Amino acid sequence: MAIDTGLLTNILFYVSISIIFAILALGFNIQWGYTGLFNAGIAGFFLIGAYVAAIAITQPAPPIVIAGFPVYPGHLGGYQLPFVGGVLLAMVAAGAVAALLALPMLRLRADYLAIGTIAFAEILRVFAINLETLTGGTIGIILIPRPIEFEPPDPFLNAMTIVGIGGTILLALLLVLQFIGESPWGRVLRATREDEEATMALGKNTFRYKLQAFALGGAIMGLAGALFAVTLGYVEPSISFAPAVTFSVWVMVIVGGAGNNRGAIFGAFLIYGMEWGSVQLKDFAPEALKDSIFYIRLIIVGVLLILLVLFRPEGVFREKKRVLR
Amino acid sequence: MAAESILGARDVQKAFGGIQAVDRCTLTVSPQSITGLIGPNGAGKSTLFNIIAGLYRPDGGEIWFNGTRIDGLPPYDIVGLGLTKTWQIPHELRNLTVLENLVLSAKGNSGERLLNLFLRPGRVRRDEKRWRARAREVLGLTQLDGLANEHAKALSGGQKKLLELARALMSDPSLVLLDEPVAGVNPVLVGSLMDLIEKLRQEGRTFFLIEHDMNVVMNRCDRVIVMHQGRKLAEGSPENVRMDPLVIESYLGG
Repeated sequence: MAIDTGLLTNILFYVSISIIFAILALGFNIQWGYTGLFNAGIAGFFLIGAYVAAIAITQPAPPIVIAGFPVYPGHLGGYQLPFVGGVLLAMVAAGAVAALLALPMLRLRADYLAIGTIAFAEILRVFAINLETLTGGTIGIILIPRPIEFEPPDPFLNAMTIVGIGGTILLALLLVLQFIGESPWGRVLRATREDEEATMALGKNTFRYKLQAFALGGAIMGLAGALFAVTLGYVEPSISFAPAVTFSVWVMVIVGGAGNNRGAIFGAFLIYGMEWGSVQLKDFAPEALKDSIFYIRLIIVGVLLILLVLFRPEGVFREKKRVLR
Repeated sequence: MAAESILGARDVQKAFGGIQAVDRCTLTVSPQSITGLIGPNGAGKSTLFNIIAGLYRPDGGEIWFNGTRIDGLPPYDIVGLGLTKTWQIPHELRNLTVLENLVLSAKGNSGERLLNLFLRPGRVRRDEKRWRARAREVLGLTQLDGLANEHAKALSGGQKKLLELARALMSDPSLVLLDEPVAGVNPVLVGSLMDLIEKLRQEGRTFFLIEHDMNVVMNRCDRVIVMHQGRKLAEGSPENVRMDPLVIESYLGG
């Protein structure tokens, strides 16, 4: 009996991208849901993770010039690290940048923090486009090796591998974040979110907690970036790390329920599912709707968000009350 | 500063724009006393408390607590030294439960350090257990035991005042600054609240409190300091202060 691996591969692709968004949402949840830090530069940390992993694990890629025309500027790299090494480097790099950025930025109030971080992410993206010899410019970095290479190449097995690895990482991350988020440490984060001045007057160095939460969230976003690089097999700067990525993650966490890790994962699968679903539906849609189906999705997401904010502002999975014995 | 005072302020100044909220204010608080701070609205009482607690940085002057100079220290270091303040307008952590508000207010809970969660799980568990037990005791003292697992935002105004005091006690302070501890609390509860403060004083703690309820000030304080226009106007026993013509004119009324 023949299995339609085309459709399955497609569904596995949906799951693998949802997992990546879920990891981004978990990173944002520790920053905003727990600590109240409204990071508008999610795409920037995602970018750092993707590029650092890509540079760490790819083959050397010298510039390509054909008949005097520069076809590809090349990129930094050729270290050929294993996948795990790329992931760890991506997390360390994104976490370190987040910590450094936090030193000046976490002294800003909420709305200015958002302005500062979105500027940071856009500056990074412009660098990624223009620092051609480092990043491959607008073409980006291609031929990123998969965690397991199949011979001959098999898209289905490849998608299975990615979902297996991503799912394992997501589950492990969820367990760790539940453990630390629901600990006394996580309680100080939530206190800081509620009232930073009062928390300081209760003896907590709130800046230290904000710094830790921000750096940890950044490292998690870097992890998502590394997974993204091996899932697609290439990274390019123009679309993948645009501000829209940041906005999508916001919607996922708001819909799922800020301060609830399971809600963040649910939101990621739901909101990315709507994007993926609209692509799938395009072939079945009546002729008149074919071209507008993407916009219809955006309208549905928008209406959903408005209804949610009006009738269930705490999200589908609301933050649970912590009953202590 | 005199060795016999637990808290001393000398020439403390603080201006907001053109308003000199605290104007070269000098005062001391004796250990194991209940010292009242009274004065008309805008006299600078709450501002002075916020400066002492490290929430505002003074423009000038010195503040000493138990032999340590504390002006310029961040609030959490001052709490660490044993000085805690409560808020005039309750600053409850709204979406944390009452019990969480209390356990959070304990000092030195090892689970509040990220690395300890992984490196010293046994100690983290023991500390958390111990502080939860202590929090239950303090809830009993402040008559909040029935509300332990309610969100703090669900409390009434008076209950939030009790929560302020309960949280302050969790940090085991030697000096508590109470900013209007009984405002909005029903009269019966005011009595038991002040009895509790008296009992805690006898255990060795010091209380420095802002209050407009003259019953509390006159019957419960050993010493009263009067502030007016950012400076100390008068000081003495409640009886003496009540008779002071300057105080009558500026605050108590004729």
